[in-house]
Amino acid sequence: MGYRKKNRNVGIVGIGETKFSSHREDVNQPEMIHEAVRQALDDAGLKIDEIDCVVHGNMELFEMVHQPDMWHTLGSGAFGRDSFRLTTGGTTGGTLVCAADNLVASGMYDVVMAVGFEKLQEGHTTGGITNMADPLWARKLQSGALTAQAANKLIDEFGAERARKAAMIYRIIMDKHAGLNPNSHRAFGLDWDQMDDLIENSPPLIGDLRLIHMCSQSDGACVIIFASEEKAKKIAKTPVWVRDHITVHREETLDLHNNYYPNRTTHRFAAQQLYARNGIDNPLEYFDVFEMYDPSAWWGVDWLREFFLLEGDEHLKLVENKEIMIDGKMPINPSGGVIAANPIGATAIVRTAEAAKQVRGDAGPHQIPKPVNHALTSSFGGTMWTVLTMLEKDLDW
Amino acid sequence: MDNKIDTGDSYVIEGKLALPYTYFAGRVGSTFITTIRDKHKIMGVKCNTCDKVFVPPRQTCERCLEDIRENWVELGNTGEVVNFTVVRYEDKHLPRKVPFVLALIHLDGADTPMVHILDGVDPEEVKIGMKVQAVFAEKTTHTILDIDHFAPV
Amino acid sequence: MSEYYGIKVEDIFNSMKDRFRPEGAAGINHSFGYEIKNTGKWKLTVADGTMELETADDVSDCDVVLNTDGETFVGLSIGKVDAMSALTSRKLKIQGDFNTFGLTSRIFQKYMTPGQETRQEQELLTLKKTISVKQRFATGPVFGKFLKGLKDKKILAIKCPECGRLQTPPREACAICRVRNNEWVEVGPNGEMRMMEYCYYASPDPLTGETRETPYGAIGILLDGCKDEEVFWHLLNPEQLDRVKMGSVINGKVTHGSRLRPVWNENRTGSIEDIRYFEIDE
Repeated sequence: MGYRKKNRNVGIVGIGETKFSSHREDVNQPEMIHEAVRQALDDAGLKIDEIDCVVHGNMELFEMVHQPDMWHTLGSGAFGRDSFRLTTGGTTGGTLVCAADNLVASGMYDVVMAVGFEKLQEGHTTGGITNMADPLWARKLQSGALTAQAANKLIDEFGAERARKAAMIYRIIMDKHAGLNPNSHRAFGLDWDQMDDLIENSPPLIGDLRLIHMCSQSDGACVIIFASEEKAKKIAKTPVWVRDHITVHREETLDLHNNYYPNRTTHRFAAQQLYARNGIDNPLEYFDVFEMYDPSAWWGVDWLREFFLLEGDEHLKLVENKEIMIDGKMPINPSGGVIAANPIGATAIVRTAEAAKQVRGDAGPHQIPKPVNHALTSSFGGTMWTVLTMLEKDLDW
Repeated sequence: MDNKIDTGDSYVIEGKLALPYTYFAGRVGSTFITTIRDKHKIMGVKCNTCDKVFVPPRQTCERCLEDIRENWVELGNTGEVVNFTVVRYEDKHLPRKVPFVLALIHLDGADTPMVHILDGVDPEEVKIGMKVQAVFAEKTTHTILDIDHFAPV
Repeated sequence: MSEYYGIKVEDIFNSMKDRFRPEGAAGINHSFGYEIKNTGKWKLTVADGTMELETADDVSDCDVVLNTDGETFVGLSIGKVDAMSALTSRKLKIQGDFNTFGLTSRIFQKYMTPGQETRQEQELLTLKKTISVKQRFATGPVFGKFLKGLKDKKILAIKCPECGRLQTPPREACAICRVRNNEWVEVGPNGEMRMMEYCYYASPDPLTGETRETPYGAIGILLDGCKDEEVFWHLLNPEQLDRVKMGSVINGKVTHGSRLRPVWNENRTGSIEDIRYFEIDE
């Protein structure tokens, strides 16, 4: 792989996040984005004139409008300055982080603002996703982002009872985390005594994927400001350093139904490369938090094994022993994750924003009780894209 | 490697993309349209820092990013053509039968021009600098077409 | 009686007659059962633009039955609780068709507390549109050859000269080996069931805007002549969703699924539609 160490260090100096919700009739798209832009600028103590470049992204086809980066200048602050638009599906937010990091690291710009947004209420999410599939074959067959394949795999491998329980434990933990996060779109107040009822009776979507397992459709925006080491130290009291990131993807949509569901391999492959080049032997020990792009509880459970390079049923044990809770050994998504809030073009950048807040120690009610020095975030998008990002509290690697 | 590709099996399949969507105008945009609809008045917003009056109105000034949503300014329903184009191709998404004129109209009291349909004048007779006024629609569509068109004064 | 948001459950029911909109109820003929935990049961009958509400001991014979607690019910009635969220978290349960229950929002005006009617809320505009664009897709020589094969009831796979894997539908290149695929192999048309997406929820087909009937099964079939990952993606006869057996390969251990065969359409045009679906080969 053509990987080279960074030209210079890059720190996160400002974070802005709207509250996520099912609809925002009171604001149009640029106005909603501006809420997050304003927050991030205030968080960094910067004026818009101090931003050198704006990187903007969301998912194509979800609002059925085009060139949103251009008419969003009203809210993004890109008027009269350099700006790029990115769209890589679900990973868009992760790609925004990679791009902003690269733009600063390269020396092209000192301060870059990344803007991710989605107003899913305005479009038709499942229709939009299906429309990305191969028009001659897969469009007829693909069921949006809904799939029970992870459920099938887990049930095949570990038996229905254990697999269904693990998925529901994961789901309830995410809901408990969401209940702590004031920005989350959905927090139902689920509790352990509802396990059996939800497993049996939640309305089915596809196979063993039920309504309760699946992520929400949300509106919202998230903004992160990145700065070069020199500037970051001046701007922020506690800049959060972007240590490394990796993007791995594989071909297209026609292979979705093969027997070895390929996103498992992109996740594991990405994790292996990233850890190897950063000398991390035991990711489960190294990281203090993981903000994962978990589109459903089934995927969340299944992917833990891939991201942490686990074997056998180690990932199930993490879930069953509730080690993934906010006060556990490896807290997963103290924010509540994607199941709690999913404004798709913002979703992946929210992972990095939330992880950075954990590192700064100012996440709010969902702050992890122990110190957070090393954070991992992931992004996921069709067609089997994986983006992983590593954040650090100290510049000491 | 043989670079010749047999294209004998290539053909074209007709398709269609059809998906519903909704756009939320937000508070500022809704006020703009409902004021046109109910009061036949065109409103802009002013950025006091940049000393500019924007129409259509927006929540923030694009230049200094100041929040200007409360700074409503009533504009005249008259203005001046600062540029125009004659639309001559037929397409179903267009608001009028061709040929018709789309003009950039600088409303009295505004600093930014607004695009709208110019009617009541032969396309060949339209001139930059022409004075025009808003003609309001009889039936509302809750859109900017609640101004049906602009016509010469 | 308990109050939620300052409103009693009974207030909602007692005001139904006043909030009834005959024009909204036109054409709706349904009975709606309400079971409110620790409060009571009500039966609402709507027919020919009229309504009748009664308390009942048993509402199980209604077309749809809503089962919830007082707080959720009042919250739903005044717009404080989102129906989809309540349904997801199982605070709200509906027996019968969810959409039928949705009709009640047409039949009744929203419940308002005294004084609320006069409060001025800003009118927020929304624009609803459907984008509809004609498209033309070029098959290219490889996909074109495959689709033409379907006309002759042949399923063609393309083979990678390096790793030998088969792809169907075919791709010009093997993305793993990064070489042009060059050899055609006829596979199937029968095969073995691998896995199924048992779809209860259907999204609109973006090609037509139409929503297909549920449930349906999108399946992966290991066609005869293929191995390992070389699975073919199509549909299952919807009558056979509950009879088909899935196969799997876990850590090298193979479990065989049902044998399947394609059902060809009479008129074949060289498209995915040439195969109507696959069915159990028995």
